[in-house]
Amino acid sequence: MPDMKIRVPLLLAALAIATSVVADDDPRHVRHELMEGVRDAAKPVGLMLRGEAEFDGEQLMQSLMVWQDAAGQFGGLFPEGTESGMDTEAAPAIWTDRAGFDAALAKWATAVDAAIEAAPDTLEAARPVVGPVFQTCKGCHDNYRISDE
Amino acid sequence: MRRTVRIGAALAAALVVAGWWLTRPQTISAGDLPVREPDPVAGEAVFWAGGCASCHATPVDGERARGDAKLRLGGGAELDTPYGVFRVPNISPHAADGIGSWSMSDFVNAMQRGVSPQGRHYYPSFPYASYARMSTADVMDLKAFIDTLPEVEGETPDHSLDFPWNLRRGIGLWKRRYLSRIPVVQFDGAAAEVLRGAYLVEGAGHCGECHTPRDRFGGLLAGQWLGGAPAAEGEGKVPNITPAAKTLSGWSAGDISYYLESGFTPEFDTVGGTMVAVQENMAKLTKADRDAIAAYLKSIPPVE
Repeated sequence: MPDMKIRVPLLLAALAIATSVVADDDPRHVRHELMEGVRDAAKPVGLMLRGEAEFDGEQLMQSLMVWQDAAGQFGGLFPEGTESGMDTEAAPAIWTDRAGFDAALAKWATAVDAAIEAAPDTLEAARPVVGPVFQTCKGCHDNYRISDE
Repeated sequence: MRRTVRIGAALAAALVVAGWWLTRPQTISAGDLPVREPDPVAGEAVFWAGGCASCHATPVDGERARGDAKLRLGGGAELDTPYGVFRVPNISPHAADGIGSWSMSDFVNAMQRGVSPQGRHYYPSFPYASYARMSTADVMDLKAFIDTLPEVEGETPDHSLDFPWNLRRGIGLWKRRYLSRIPVVQFDGAAAEVLRGAYLVEGAGHCGECHTPRDRFGGLLAGQWLGGAPAAEGEGKVPNITPAAKTLSGWSAGDISYYLESGFTPEFDTVGGTMVAVQENMAKLTKADRDAIAAYLKSIPPVE
Protein backbone atom coordinates (compact mmCIF):
# COMPACT_ATOMS: atom_id res chain seq x y z
CA MET A 1 0.00 0.00 0.00
CA PRO A 2 2.30 2.76 -1.19
CA ASP A 3 -0.56 5.24 -1.23
CA MET A 4 -0.96 5.01 2.51
CA LYS A 5 2.10 7.24 3.01
CA ILE A 6 0.33 10.07 1.28
CA ARG A 7 -3.16 9.30 2.44
CA VAL A 8 -2.58 9.40 6.18
CA PRO A 9 -1.11 12.92 6.32
CA LEU A 10 -3.80 14.09 3.92
CA LEU A 11 -6.47 12.60 6.13
CA LEU A 12 -4.93 14.21 9.19
CA ALA A 13 -4.78 17.57 7.44
CA ALA A 14 -8.42 17.30 6.40
CA LEU A 15 -9.36 16.34 9.93
CA ALA A 16 -7.45 19.31 11.32
CA ILE A 17 -9.25 21.69 8.98
CA ALA A 18 -12.63 20.10 9.72
CA THR A 19 -12.20 20.35 13.48
CA SER A 20 -11.06 23.95 13.29
CA VAL A 21 -14.19 24.79 11.30
CA VAL A 22 -16.63 23.05 13.62
CA ALA A 23 -15.08 24.36 16.86
CA ASP A 24 -17.92 26.80 17.45
CA ASP A 25 -17.19 27.06 21.14
CA ASP A 26 -13.57 28.12 20.60
CA PRO A 27 -13.21 31.48 22.39
CA ARG A 28 -11.62 32.97 19.27
CA HIS A 29 -14.75 32.13 17.32
CA VAL A 30 -17.17 33.19 20.05
CA ARG A 31 -15.52 36.56 20.66
CA HIS A 32 -15.34 37.25 16.92
CA GLU A 33 -19.09 36.62 16.50
CA LEU A 34 -19.83 38.66 19.60
CA MET A 35 -17.74 41.55 18.28
CA GLU A 36 -19.60 41.47 14.96
CA GLY A 37 -22.84 41.72 16.88
CA VAL A 38 -21.45 44.76 18.71
CA ARG A 39 -20.54 46.38 15.40
CA ASP A 40 -23.92 45.60 13.84
CA ALA A 41 -25.67 47.16 16.83
CA ALA A 42 -23.49 50.26 16.44
CA LYS A 43 -24.54 51.03 12.89
CA PRO A 44 -28.15 52.20 13.47
CA VAL A 45 -27.06 54.22 16.50
CA GLY A 46 -24.10 55.73 14.65
CA LEU A 47 -26.36 56.83 11.81
CA MET A 48 -28.59 58.58 14.37
CA LEU A 49 -25.60 60.38 15.87
CA ARG A 50 -24.46 61.40 12.37
CA GLY A 51 -27.92 62.80 11.73
CA GLU A 52 -28.46 60.41 8.84
CA ALA A 53 -31.28 58.50 10.52
CA GLU A 54 -34.25 59.54 12.66
CA PHE A 55 -33.70 59.23 16.39
CA ASP A 56 -35.19 55.94 17.59
CA GLY A 57 -35.01 55.50 21.36
CA GLU A 58 -36.18 51.90 21.20
CA GLN A 59 -33.46 50.96 18.72
CA LEU A 60 -30.91 52.73 20.88
CA MET A 61 -31.94 50.76 23.98
CA GLN A 62 -31.81 47.51 21.99
CA SER A 63 -28.24 48.25 20.91
CA LEU A 64 -27.23 49.24 24.43
CA MET A 65 -28.54 45.89 25.68
CA VAL A 66 -26.46 44.05 23.06
CA TRP A 67 -23.39 45.93 24.28
CA GLN A 68 -24.15 45.35 27.93
CA ASP A 69 -24.43 41.63 27.27
CA ALA A 70 -21.18 41.62 25.25
CA ALA A 71 -19.32 43.67 27.86
CA GLY A 72 -20.23 41.03 30.43
CA GLN A 73 -18.82 38.24 28.28
CA PHE A 74 -15.62 39.62 26.75
CA GLY A 75 -13.56 39.41 29.94
CA GLY A 76 -13.73 35.60 29.88
CA LEU A 77 -13.15 35.14 26.16
CA PHE A 78 -9.40 35.77 26.00
CA PRO A 79 -7.93 32.81 27.93
CA GLU A 80 -4.28 31.73 27.66
CA GLY A 81 -3.73 29.73 24.50
CA THR A 82 -5.99 31.86 22.29
CA GLU A 83 -3.36 34.52 21.57
CA SER A 84 -3.13 33.56 17.90
CA GLY A 85 -4.74 31.47 15.21
CA MET A 86 -8.13 31.66 13.50
CA ASP A 87 -7.20 35.10 12.12
CA THR A 88 -7.68 36.61 15.56
CA GLU A 89 -7.18 40.36 15.70
CA ALA A 90 -6.60 40.25 19.44
CA ALA A 91 -3.36 42.08 20.23
CA PRO A 92 -0.65 40.43 22.37
CA ALA A 93 -1.14 43.32 24.83
CA ILE A 94 -4.31 41.63 26.08
CA TRP A 95 -2.13 38.93 27.62
CA THR A 96 0.92 41.05 28.50
CA ASP A 97 -1.18 43.83 30.05
CA ARG A 98 -4.30 42.10 31.31
CA ALA A 99 -4.98 44.76 33.94
CA GLY A 100 -4.96 47.46 31.26
CA PHE A 101 -7.26 45.42 29.06
CA ASP A 102 -9.68 44.77 31.90
CA ALA A 103 -9.69 48.47 32.77
CA ALA A 104 -10.40 49.46 29.14
CA LEU A 105 -13.21 46.91 28.99
CA ALA A 106 -14.62 48.19 32.28
CA LYS A 107 -14.60 51.75 30.92
CA TRP A 108 -16.74 50.64 28.03
CA ALA A 109 -19.10 48.67 30.30
CA THR A 110 -19.45 51.68 32.60
CA ALA A 111 -20.28 53.95 29.67
CA VAL A 112 -22.89 51.47 28.41
CA ASP A 113 -24.47 51.14 31.87
CA ALA A 114 -24.61 54.92 32.26
CA ALA A 115 -26.33 55.29 28.89
CA ILE A 116 -28.91 52.65 29.81
CA GLU A 117 -29.47 54.38 33.13
CA ALA A 118 -30.02 57.71 31.36
CA ALA A 119 -32.50 56.15 28.90
CA PRO A 120 -32.33 59.16 26.56
CA ASP A 121 -35.45 59.90 24.54
CA THR A 122 -34.06 62.60 22.27
CA LEU A 123 -30.95 62.89 20.11
CA GLU A 124 -29.76 65.83 22.23
CA ALA A 125 -30.05 63.73 25.37
CA ALA A 126 -28.42 60.74 23.69
CA ARG A 127 -25.29 62.49 22.38
CA PRO A 128 -23.52 63.10 25.72
CA VAL A 129 -24.17 59.55 27.00
CA VAL A 130 -23.72 57.55 23.79
CA GLY A 131 -20.61 59.44 22.65
CA PRO A 132 -18.49 57.93 25.46
CA VAL A 133 -19.72 54.43 24.52
CA PHE A 134 -18.35 54.88 21.00
CA GLN A 135 -15.14 56.50 22.20
CA THR A 136 -14.39 53.74 24.72
CA CYS A 137 -15.01 51.00 22.21
CA LYS A 138 -12.62 52.71 19.80
CA GLY A 139 -10.17 53.44 22.62
CA CYS A 140 -9.89 49.76 23.54
CA HIS A 141 -9.19 48.79 19.91
CA ASP A 142 -6.37 51.31 19.78
CA ASN A 143 -4.35 49.24 22.28
CA TYR A 144 -5.77 45.76 22.18
CA ARG A 145 -6.61 45.03 18.57
CA ILE A 146 -4.13 44.53 15.74
CA SER A 147 -4.93 45.79 12.28
CA ASP A 148 -4.34 43.88 9.06
CA GLU A 149 -3.78 47.12 7.20
CA MET B 1 50.46 59.91 -23.11
CA ARG B 2 50.98 62.64 -20.58
CA ARG B 3 48.40 64.66 -22.43
CA THR B 4 45.81 61.90 -22.15
CA VAL B 5 46.41 61.70 -18.41
CA ARG B 6 46.03 65.41 -18.10
CA ILE B 7 42.75 65.44 -20.04
CA GLY B 8 41.48 62.49 -18.00
CA ALA B 9 42.28 64.28 -14.76
CA ALA B 10 40.64 67.45 -15.97
CA LEU B 11 37.50 65.51 -16.95
CA ALA B 12 37.36 63.76 -13.58
CA ALA B 13 37.74 67.08 -11.79
CA ALA B 14 34.99 68.58 -13.95
CA LEU B 15 32.70 65.66 -13.05
CA VAL B 16 33.36 66.14 -9.35
CA VAL B 17 32.64 69.85 -9.63
CA ALA B 18 29.47 69.20 -11.65
CA GLY B 19 28.32 66.56 -9.18
CA TRP B 20 29.00 68.88 -6.26
CA TRP B 21 27.09 71.64 -7.98
CA LEU B 22 24.15 69.39 -8.92
CA THR B 23 23.75 68.06 -5.38
CA ARG B 24 24.19 71.37 -3.55
CA PRO B 25 21.48 72.24 -1.01
CA GLN B 26 19.30 75.08 -2.29
CA THR B 27 17.85 77.46 0.23
CA ILE B 28 15.83 80.61 0.46
CA SER B 29 17.02 83.61 2.46
CA ALA B 30 15.23 85.60 5.16
CA GLY B 31 14.58 88.38 2.66
CA ASP B 32 12.48 86.03 0.51
CA LEU B 33 9.95 85.38 3.29
CA PRO B 34 6.59 87.12 3.16
CA VAL B 35 6.46 90.10 5.52
CA ARG B 36 3.83 89.21 8.12
CA GLU B 37 3.37 88.50 11.81
CA PRO B 38 3.15 84.69 12.24
CA ASP B 39 -0.05 83.56 13.96
CA PRO B 40 0.37 80.73 16.52
CA VAL B 41 -3.38 80.08 16.70
CA ALA B 42 -3.60 79.46 12.96
CA GLY B 43 -0.39 77.48 13.36
CA GLU B 44 -2.05 74.99 15.68
CA ALA B 45 -4.45 73.98 12.89
CA VAL B 46 -1.44 73.54 10.58
CA PHE B 47 0.28 71.45 13.26
CA TRP B 48 -2.57 68.92 13.38
CA ALA B 49 -3.04 68.92 9.62
CA GLY B 50 0.69 68.23 9.26
CA GLY B 51 0.70 65.31 11.68
CA CYS B 52 3.95 66.56 13.28
CA ALA B 53 3.17 64.88 16.59
CA SER B 54 2.64 61.46 15.05
CA CYS B 55 6.38 61.14 14.46
CA HIS B 56 8.01 63.77 16.69
CA ALA B 57 6.09 63.37 19.97
CA THR B 58 8.27 61.43 22.39
CA PRO B 59 6.85 57.93 22.98
CA VAL B 60 5.55 57.26 26.50
CA ASP B 61 6.60 53.87 27.95
CA GLY B 62 7.38 52.64 24.45
CA GLU B 63 3.88 53.50 23.24
CA ARG B 64 2.84 56.34 20.96
CA ALA B 65 2.06 59.56 22.79
CA ARG B 66 -1.57 60.33 23.53
CA GLY B 67 -3.41 63.43 24.70
CA ASP B 68 -1.20 66.30 25.88
CA ALA B 69 1.93 64.13 25.50
CA LYS B 70 1.54 64.79 21.76
CA LEU B 71 2.80 68.31 22.40
CA ARG B 72 6.15 67.14 23.77
CA LEU B 73 8.15 67.02 20.53
CA GLY B 74 11.37 65.50 21.86
CA GLY B 75 11.53 62.83 19.14
CA GLY B 76 13.10 59.47 19.86
CA ALA B 77 10.82 57.19 17.85
CA GLU B 78 12.47 54.93 15.28
CA LEU B 79 11.32 53.99 11.79
CA ASP B 80 12.65 50.62 10.73
CA THR B 81 12.50 50.72 6.92
CA PRO B 82 14.10 48.89 3.98
CA TYR B 83 16.64 51.78 3.75
CA GLY B 84 17.74 51.37 7.35
CA VAL B 85 16.66 52.85 10.68
CA PHE B 86 15.54 56.48 10.73
CA ARG B 87 15.58 58.17 14.13
CA VAL B 88 13.13 60.97 14.71
CA PRO B 89 14.80 64.16 15.97
CA ASN B 90 13.83 66.57 18.74
CA ILE B 91 11.86 69.51 17.27
CA SER B 92 10.71 70.95 20.58
CA PRO B 93 11.62 74.62 21.21
CA HIS B 94 14.58 73.56 23.43
CA ALA B 95 17.45 75.86 22.39
CA ALA B 96 20.25 73.28 22.46
CA ASP B 97 18.54 69.94 21.79
CA GLY B 98 15.54 71.06 19.74
CA ILE B 99 14.90 73.85 17.27
CA GLY B 100 14.55 76.70 19.76
CA SER B 101 17.49 78.61 18.29
CA TRP B 102 16.27 78.39 14.69
CA SER B 103 15.39 81.48 12.71
CA MET B 104 12.21 81.62 10.64
CA SER B 105 14.19 81.05 7.45
CA ASP B 106 15.93 78.02 9.05
CA PHE B 107 12.50 76.54 9.69
CA VAL B 108 11.13 77.30 6.23
CA ASN B 109 14.25 75.81 4.59
CA ALA B 110 13.84 72.64 6.65
CA MET B 111 10.14 72.27 5.91
CA GLN B 112 10.10 73.23 2.24
CA ARG B 113 13.63 72.68 0.93
CA GLY B 114 14.71 69.80 3.16
CA VAL B 115 17.86 71.67 4.23
CA SER B 116 19.14 71.97 7.81
CA PRO B 117 20.41 75.23 9.34
CA GLN B 118 23.94 73.82 8.81
CA GLY B 119 23.19 73.49 5.11
CA ARG B 120 22.89 69.69 5.02
CA HIS B 121 20.19 67.74 3.21
CA TYR B 122 17.52 66.06 5.29
CA TYR B 123 16.37 62.60 4.33
CA PRO B 124 12.90 62.59 2.76
CA SER B 125 11.64 60.39 5.60
CA PHE B 126 10.93 63.90 6.87
CA PRO B 127 8.15 64.54 4.33
CA TYR B 128 9.36 67.92 3.05
CA ALA B 129 8.57 66.75 -0.49
CA SER B 130 4.93 67.12 0.59
CA TYR B 131 5.43 70.12 2.88
CA ALA B 132 7.00 71.94 -0.10
CA ARG B 133 3.43 72.31 -1.42
CA MET B 134 2.28 74.23 1.67
CA SER B 135 2.05 78.00 1.62
CA THR B 136 5.05 79.66 3.25
CA ALA B 137 2.59 81.61 5.40
CA ASP B 138 1.22 78.36 6.86
CA VAL B 139 4.76 77.14 7.57
CA MET B 140 5.55 80.38 9.39
CA ASP B 141 2.39 80.07 11.50
CA LEU B 142 3.38 76.50 12.33
CA LYS B 143 6.72 77.65 13.72
CA ALA B 144 4.96 80.26 15.82
CA PHE B 145 2.80 77.48 17.32
CA ILE B 146 5.70 75.08 17.93
CA ASP B 147 7.50 77.94 19.72
CA THR B 148 4.70 77.88 22.33
CA LEU B 149 5.14 74.15 23.14
CA PRO B 150 7.14 72.64 26.02
CA GLU B 151 10.93 72.48 25.72
CA VAL B 152 12.05 68.86 25.83
CA GLU B 153 15.63 67.94 26.70
CA GLY B 154 17.66 65.30 24.94
CA GLU B 155 19.24 64.91 21.54
CA THR B 156 18.39 61.81 19.53
CA PRO B 157 21.07 59.78 17.73
CA ASP B 158 21.51 60.00 13.95
CA HIS B 159 19.94 57.57 11.46
CA SER B 160 21.65 54.22 10.70
CA LEU B 161 21.19 53.72 6.98
CA ASP B 162 22.53 51.18 4.54
CA PHE B 163 24.77 52.00 1.55
CA PRO B 164 24.11 53.89 -0.70
CA TRP B 165 21.39 55.66 1.28
CA ASN B 166 23.95 56.76 3.88
CA LEU B 167 25.52 59.15 1.30
CA ARG B 168 23.59 62.23 2.34
CA ARG B 169 24.88 64.45 -0.44
CA GLY B 170 23.12 62.20 -2.98
CA ILE B 171 19.79 63.53 -1.71
CA GLY B 172 20.58 66.62 -3.81
CA LEU B 173 20.01 64.52 -6.94
CA TRP B 174 16.88 62.99 -5.41
CA LYS B 175 15.48 66.46 -4.81
CA ARG B 176 16.14 67.47 -8.42
CA ARG B 177 13.93 64.63 -9.51
CA TYR B 178 11.22 64.52 -6.83
CA LEU B 179 11.00 67.82 -4.98
CA SER B 180 8.40 70.11 -6.54
CA ARG B 181 5.85 72.66 -5.42
CA ILE B 182 3.52 71.85 -8.33
CA PRO B 183 0.26 70.09 -7.31
CA VAL B 184 0.19 66.35 -8.05
CA VAL B 185 -3.34 66.25 -9.45
CA GLN B 186 -4.13 68.89 -12.06
CA PHE B 187 -7.79 69.95 -11.92
CA ASP B 188 -9.57 71.86 -14.63
CA GLY B 189 -11.99 74.28 -13.01
CA ALA B 190 -12.54 72.28 -9.81
CA ALA B 191 -14.63 73.66 -6.95
CA ALA B 192 -12.81 75.63 -4.26
CA GLU B 193 -13.57 72.82 -1.81
CA VAL B 194 -11.71 70.26 -3.95
CA LEU B 195 -8.72 72.60 -4.30
CA ARG B 196 -8.66 73.13 -0.52
CA GLY B 197 -8.70 69.34 -0.13
CA ALA B 198 -5.83 69.03 -2.61
CA TYR B 199 -3.84 71.58 -0.63
CA LEU B 200 -4.39 69.64 2.61
CA VAL B 201 -3.85 66.12 1.24
CA GLU B 202 -0.89 66.85 -1.06
CA GLY B 203 0.74 69.38 1.27
CA ALA B 204 0.57 69.40 5.06
CA GLY B 205 -1.42 66.15 5.33
CA HIS B 206 1.31 64.32 3.35
CA CYS B 207 -1.13 61.44 2.74
CA GLY B 208 0.77 60.35 -0.36
CA GLU B 209 3.87 59.52 1.68
CA CYS B 210 2.18 56.33 2.92
CA HIS B 211 -0.70 55.76 0.48
CA THR B 212 1.37 56.07 -2.75
CA PRO B 213 3.87 53.41 -3.83
CA ARG B 214 7.53 54.41 -4.33
CA ASP B 215 10.05 53.67 -7.06
CA ARG B 216 13.44 52.12 -6.29
CA PHE B 217 14.93 55.50 -5.33
CA GLY B 218 12.18 56.10 -2.81
CA GLY B 219 10.37 58.69 -4.94
CA LEU B 220 6.57 58.61 -5.12
CA LEU B 221 5.09 57.13 -8.33
CA ALA B 222 2.84 60.01 -9.42
CA GLY B 223 0.92 57.74 -11.82
CA GLN B 224 -0.25 55.64 -8.88
CA TRP B 225 -1.06 58.58 -6.62
CA LEU B 226 -2.84 57.38 -3.44
CA GLY B 227 -3.31 53.96 -5.06
CA GLY B 228 -2.11 52.02 -2.01
CA ALA B 229 1.39 50.82 -1.13
CA PRO B 230 3.36 48.40 1.00
CA ALA B 231 3.80 49.81 4.51
CA ALA B 232 7.17 51.50 5.10
CA GLU B 233 7.54 49.45 8.27
CA GLY B 234 6.63 45.80 8.68
CA GLU B 235 4.68 43.66 6.26
CA GLY B 236 1.35 45.46 6.13
CA LYS B 237 -0.31 47.23 3.24
CA VAL B 238 -1.53 50.81 3.18
CA PRO B 239 -4.87 50.90 1.36
CA ASN B 240 -5.79 52.48 -1.95
CA ILE B 241 -7.85 55.63 -1.24
CA THR B 242 -8.68 56.62 -4.82
CA PRO B 243 -12.24 56.30 -6.19
CA ALA B 244 -11.28 52.83 -7.54
CA ALA B 245 -10.41 51.50 -4.08
CA LYS B 246 -12.08 48.24 -3.13
CA THR B 247 -13.38 49.59 0.16
CA LEU B 248 -13.44 53.34 -0.20
CA SER B 249 -15.33 53.35 -3.52
CA GLY B 250 -18.48 52.48 -1.59
CA TRP B 251 -18.07 55.39 0.81
CA SER B 252 -19.79 58.73 0.25
CA ALA B 253 -17.89 61.97 0.80
CA GLY B 254 -19.89 62.28 4.03
CA ASP B 255 -18.71 58.81 5.10
CA ILE B 256 -15.06 59.78 4.54
CA SER B 257 -15.45 63.02 6.45
CA TYR B 258 -17.20 61.26 9.34
CA TYR B 259 -14.48 58.60 9.43
CA LEU B 260 -11.81 61.30 9.75
CA GLU B 261 -13.83 62.98 12.50
CA SER B 262 -14.87 59.94 14.54
CA GLY B 263 -12.70 57.00 13.51
CA PHE B 264 -15.75 54.95 12.52
CA THR B 265 -16.23 53.42 9.07
CA PRO B 266 -19.69 53.41 7.44
CA GLU B 267 -20.10 49.87 8.85
CA PHE B 268 -19.10 51.24 12.25
CA ASP B 269 -15.93 49.29 12.49
CA THR B 270 -13.15 51.42 14.01
CA VAL B 271 -10.01 52.86 12.45
CA GLY B 272 -6.94 50.67 12.99
CA GLY B 273 -3.16 50.57 12.79
CA THR B 274 -1.07 53.63 12.06
CA MET B 275 -4.18 55.44 10.77
CA VAL B 276 -5.44 55.84 14.35
CA ALA B 277 -2.95 58.63 15.07
CA VAL B 278 -3.69 60.25 11.71
CA GLN B 279 -7.44 60.16 12.35
CA GLU B 280 -6.95 61.73 15.79
CA ASN B 281 -5.11 64.58 14.07
CA MET B 282 -7.80 64.96 11.42
CA ALA B 283 -10.44 65.10 14.18
CA LYS B 284 -8.85 68.39 15.27
CA LEU B 285 -9.41 70.08 11.88
CA THR B 286 -12.57 71.99 11.07
CA LYS B 287 -15.45 70.05 9.55
CA ALA B 288 -15.04 72.17 6.42
CA ASP B 289 -11.46 70.92 6.02
CA ARG B 290 -12.46 67.28 6.55
CA ASP B 291 -15.23 67.74 3.97
CA ALA B 292 -12.66 69.26 1.61
CA ILE B 293 -10.36 66.24 1.99
CA ALA B 294 -13.31 63.95 1.25
CA ALA B 295 -14.31 66.00 -1.81
CA TYR B 296 -10.73 65.81 -3.12
CA LEU B 297 -10.49 62.03 -2.60
CA LYS B 298 -13.72 61.65 -4.55
CA SER B 299 -12.30 63.74 -7.43
CA ILE B 300 -8.85 62.28 -8.04
CA PRO B 301 -8.03 59.83 -10.85
CA PRO B 302 -8.91 56.24 -9.90
CA VAL B 303 -5.99 53.82 -9.56
CA GLU B 304 -6.99 50.21 -10.21
